[in-house]
Amino acid sequence: MGRKISFLKALNEAMAEEMRRDPSVFVLGEDVRIGAFGQTAGLVKEFGEERILNTPIAENAITGVAIGAAMNGLRPVLELMFCDFAMLAMDQICNQLGQWRYVTGNQYGVPVTIRTAVGAGFRMAYGHSQSLESQLIQAPGLVLVEPATPYDAKGLLKSAIRSDDPVVFFEHKKLVLGGVEGEVPEEEYTIPFGEAVVRKPGKDATVVAFGFMVYEALNAAQELAKEGIDIEIIDPRTIVPLDKDTIFESVAKTGRLVTVEEGRIRGGLGAEIAALACGDYFSLLKAPVQRVAAPMVPIPGSPVLEDLYLPNKDSIVRAVKRVML
Amino acid sequence: MSLENKKLMELYRKMLLVRAMEEKHGRLLQEGKIQLMSHFGTGQEAVAVGVTGPLRQEDILFGTHRGVGEYIGKGMSAKEIWLEYMGKKTGPCKGKGTLHLCDRTLNIPGLVSSLGADFSMAVGTALASKMRKLNQVTLYFVGEGTCNQGEAHPSMCMAALWKLPVVFAVCTNQFCELSYMCDHYPTSDVAPRAAGYGIPYEIVDGQDIETTYGATAKAVEHARSGKGPYLVEYKTFRMALHFSGDPGGYVKPEDLVEWGKRDPIDLCQKKILDRRILTPEGDQKLRETVRAEVESAVEEAFAAPDPTVDDLFEDVYAERGVR
Repeated sequence: MGRKISFLKALNEAMAEEMRRDPSVFVLGEDVRIGAFGQTAGLVKEFGEERILNTPIAENAITGVAIGAAMNGLRPVLELMFCDFAMLAMDQICNQLGQWRYVTGNQYGVPVTIRTAVGAGFRMAYGHSQSLESQLIQAPGLVLVEPATPYDAKGLLKSAIRSDDPVVFFEHKKLVLGGVEGEVPEEEYTIPFGEAVVRKPGKDATVVAFGFMVYEALNAAQELAKEGIDIEIIDPRTIVPLDKDTIFESVAKTGRLVTVEEGRIRGGLGAEIAALACGDYFSLLKAPVQRVAAPMVPIPGSPVLEDLYLPNKDSIVRAVKRVML
Repeated sequence: MSLENKKLMELYRKMLLVRAMEEKHGRLLQEGKIQLMSHFGTGQEAVAVGVTGPLRQEDILFGTHRGVGEYIGKGMSAKEIWLEYMGKKTGPCKGKGTLHLCDRTLNIPGLVSSLGADFSMAVGTALASKMRKLNQVTLYFVGEGTCNQGEAHPSMCMAALWKLPVVFAVCTNQFCELSYMCDHYPTSDVAPRAAGYGIPYEIVDGQDIETTYGATAKAVEHARSGKGPYLVEYKTFRMALHFSGDPGGYVKPEDLVEWGKRDPIDLCQKKILDRRILTPEGDQKLRETVRAEVESAVEEAFAAPDPTVDDLFEDVYAERGVR
């Protein structure tokens, strides 16, 4: 180890390495030759315009193009700039991409990786700010990934590109644009899906946090420590498949569970984990599960209102205190 | 164009098989022996069989849910189709696709239910053919109803922009589901839309198999030679209702009479008899053979094994199991 790189650089390296390794990998999307946020910047210099393909602004159709290319032997890495825009491609993602292997009786797998940005905090209001991961948890056949560190971003994106299953890869804008740095080895590595990481060990309550919310949870842990509350933070890294074993081994120890996501609360990732807790692990719980998530309102553009809308360190602290009562 | 006797006979036989398959499907539904709803393409056989005629095995076909024409045309057998239609374990999609026919050995990647989703998939397979330098054309077979999906436009745009080997074959059967085309279209033709993307197009009679075959062969050759996409619109008439639950009542009887005078199978039969490729007795015998082929395929499919609970959880992911 030793080398530190940004989240952005980690994503860029993952794509470059996989394209060098496998000639069937190519990148497509709107403005990928420039890279609106920079994830794909510079790739065109090494790989040429054919493998770094700019597309028209047509999310559903370019997702269909990626699916078709995957049916015919390629491994497309498709960028849908914002997850808000990925909603234009819901037919391709939910009706086609995840179900094609099944409906064709395993004749056609579609190894597409879709990278898309989530996350608020940039005062961009309702249409460029959402975290819509939970919209996709109902769709069978997909793998859903959300890394929190540069190390995970690189290792998981490489796994996604090599996967024979379709993957939707969520990148939080605060991590991509905020220059979060972390240790990433020079040597080759990949990270398997479905393996959570304990970001901070603790004994009093289990906090499951996704993506950028891992950092809010780490800040909450410092504040709670001052009051003698020691939380354990689990970063699942992949939403589907979900590492239930690691989560509930922790709950077996703490007896208390708080879920944290930036997306909205109704039918969210936390709702799914809370349902698992109630159905399969009820006897482990000493207190009702608490969910930290955004309220059921559109994301407001006003800085004051957006900050009120977003889950953060303080809402995590409050939720942990509720399970500690 | 005038086809060689052997080719014409091959297409004629396929058209007879398509109609016999659909007639049998209708009878089985009436008798309550199967549940699978039907979307028949009666009267459109010369389009479905004509557009697939010039394709090679390595060429890719995206078809529609309307009947079995293009699937028989591309080479699927009556037996394969019935196994899948009845949801049997030994069907090409292991009974998970039923009406969504797919056969990888024939380069038929499957068919979508949300109409038009495959417009862009066809552009994607053609993009891969070009990037992989394969001598392979994708033929996208679509009805005029589906051409109103938003997908149509960026798909044509990208096909032209990247000069891809894809043929858009539009079967204009005068109906968009339960409405006449004029309820959905301000124009009588779909094809001129291609001109907006610089794609060459042609509008042809869809009743005459030699015309549909010939126009498609030209379009496929254009795409194969690296000149980019081509669109052909075939004018035909759907003699059947939209689907087996269709209440009907919206089709003008005079249209059925008028178009019935140019039934594609009758027109082809006349050529076959006029050119003395078959005698009337030979023609009768052929029709009996085709019907027997369908009957035995149906019997075999009824007797084939159903999938089991293990199959329910198979093929969701590359590795067994659900996540």
